[in-house]
Amino acid sequence: MDVRTRRLLFLAAPGLAFLFVFLFLPLVSVVVYSFWRTASYEMIAEWNVDNYVTLLTEGTYLTFLWRSLVMATVVTAVSVVYAWPVAYLIAKHGGRYKLILVLLTAAPFLTGEILRITALQQILGPIGVINMGLTSFGIAPVEALMYSSTATGIGLSYLWMPFMVLAVYLSLLNFDFELMEVAKVNGARPLRAFIEIAWPLNRAGTAIGCVLVFIPTLGSSVTSQFLGGPNGALYGNILAHQFGATGTWALGSAMGVVLFGLSALLIALVVRVVGDFRRSGLTMSGR
Amino acid sequence: MTEAVLRLEGVTKRFGTVVAADSVDIEIGREFFSLLGPSGSGKTTMLRIIAGLEVPDLGNVRIEGRDVTRQPPYRRGVGMVFQDFLLFPHKTVAENIVFPLRMQGVPPAGRAEALGWITDLVHLKGLEGRFPHQLSGGQKQRVALARGLVSRPKLLLLDEPLANLDRELRKEMEVEIRRFQLELKIPFVYVTHNQEEALTMSDRMAIMRDGRILQVGGKLDLYHHPDLAFVAGFLGAPNVFEGKVTGLADGLAIIDWQGYPLQARAKGGLAVGQRAVCFVKSEKIELFAGTGQGRVDGVLRDAIFKGQYADYLVHLAGAREVTVSGPPRAELFAPGRPVSLSWSAEDGDAFPAGG
Ligand SMILES: Nc1ncnc2c1ncn2[C@@H]1O[C@H](COP(=O)(O)OP(=O)(O)O)[C@@H](O)[C@H]1O
Ligand SMILES: [Mg+2]
Repeated sequence: MDVRTRRLLFLAAPGLAFLFVFLFLPLVSVVVYSFWRTASYEMIAEWNVDNYVTLLTEGTYLTFLWRSLVMATVVTAVSVVYAWPVAYLIAKHGGRYKLILVLLTAAPFLTGEILRITALQQILGPIGVINMGLTSFGIAPVEALMYSSTATGIGLSYLWMPFMVLAVYLSLLNFDFELMEVAKVNGARPLRAFIEIAWPLNRAGTAIGCVLVFIPTLGSSVTSQFLGGPNGALYGNILAHQFGATGTWALGSAMGVVLFGLSALLIALVVRVVGDFRRSGLTMSGR
Repeated sequence: MTEAVLRLEGVTKRFGTVVAADSVDIEIGREFFSLLGPSGSGKTTMLRIIAGLEVPDLGNVRIEGRDVTRQPPYRRGVGMVFQDFLLFPHKTVAENIVFPLRMQGVPPAGRAEALGWITDLVHLKGLEGRFPHQLSGGQKQRVALARGLVSRPKLLLLDEPLANLDRELRKEMEVEIRRFQLELKIPFVYVTHNQEEALTMSDRMAIMRDGRILQVGGKLDLYHHPDLAFVAGFLGAPNVFEGKVTGLADGLAIIDWQGYPLQARAKGGLAVGQRAVCFVKSEKIELFAGTGQGRVDGVLRDAIFKGQYADYLVHLAGAREVTVSGPPRAELFAPGRPVSLSWSAEDGDAFPAGG
């Protein structure tokens, strides 16, 4: 080993050790457990694939997985649509208040997850601001907002939106807004200029935002537990159930592996789609 | 000038307390028109107003007779070339060039034909598939020009397009850009702070300062007949003499400078007894070896050989140093020798001092 390699190893060592202890080891144990068996709240080290067979054949698991996938897709799409104008305005017109404005979008994070969800309950629930307001004017409350998948979707969007805003904002910091003027002088209407210039040149940043929103949403359980009502359970709730009431840890581990596999697949897909850096505008400018 | 393609009427634009355009009136036909002025004089603002990227506070912009003052840029049919190229980094050379045509809905066959034509004209054949970061500065500039010209716009605006190129390349591009204008007969509005570029390429030009157009005219006219002290001092490499006006006759002024009676054309309402500044371009001064009657005496400090001509630095009375440009003469390459200068009265321009 030459000096350079040794120095690199030395610098990378703490990070690698951290990843090994807190990411790799737990992951390996989950994978191992997923091929074991649980009986009366005990792990039994008998290698088998029954857990995966159960997941694939018993319709409920696939149904809940599908529900979570739809939920994550919708929440991600809503985040993109909502976060882009916010990030764009801040990056372009924020002046010296840029950083503060962006951090403000993350202000709800200062309160902790449960409190944030409780706050949403106060707004959306049957005795929440919206429905109480409507009732006091003699209008029927909006059922869709009360303990429903819509409420869960709103809650999840609200929870993870700041990540999308931040990802798009950081990407836009590197974006040359003058290119939009160039496009307009060359005949592009504002929407066309956005599609031709701003969007493709910030694809990578947007994709990172999507990953940051999609993955936690896919595995989420707390939000739907509080806002989703009796029929609003998601894959994450069922997964949590295996480690709680039913004590089927092996099946739970298999569910976790599926979740991990899907997330990894998503990341691979994103890298493939935005991986052509010549087209992403990440690495160079047109000046 | 042929019939006006672009007409600015009383265009005014303020940014806070800065007046970037101060009731500007210009008419531009199918010609090469330069806006020349120092940095911060409002040249870029003027182009942005013409392009529709900025809306003037007052006044009107007319293109081909139509009032476009409030029209958005994408409706104006104007081409623009920017100082730092501003190519789309994620598009190839070909995609960059045909962008305006795509926005206009020209079908692919028409775009391919136009691409072939323009890459021929600006010498970009063979580079169509490259990305901007794979091009040299000169090539990027050619792509920017091609993008500006490909749709045969009503006029082409150029904002210091050569400022980022080295001298050799700049000389070459000056000739090229002029050639494009002559071939396409599209009005070019060319902005620069470099008088050499403006003088090389233009038919007519305007001198700008503090958001105002000081003087407009043919380039020779502006160079030889400045109306204002600023214009006289800005163009060429003028020498300046300041003194008191002792006489006025037939449009000529006599200015007392260090005891010498200098003659120049009187401009700007010069009056006897007033202080005046007198500008004489370095190539209009004649240099004589030795002292002489009726000339300004001095001592040759240095002679700088430039090939076709030479710059002579002459020390005059009052610690004044002037530059004289003329043919290289062997007997004058002798620093320290006494010399004398003179020029004909029509080659000097005198203006009231402090104006
Ligand atoms: N967007 C703007 N906001 C504030 N001031 C501006 C803006 N654009 C230009 N200016 C000011 O207007 C004046 C003219 O600028 P500009 O047109 O860029 O001059 P030039 O191109 O001749 O260098 C300058 O004083 C500049 O600071
Ligand atoms: Mg400028």
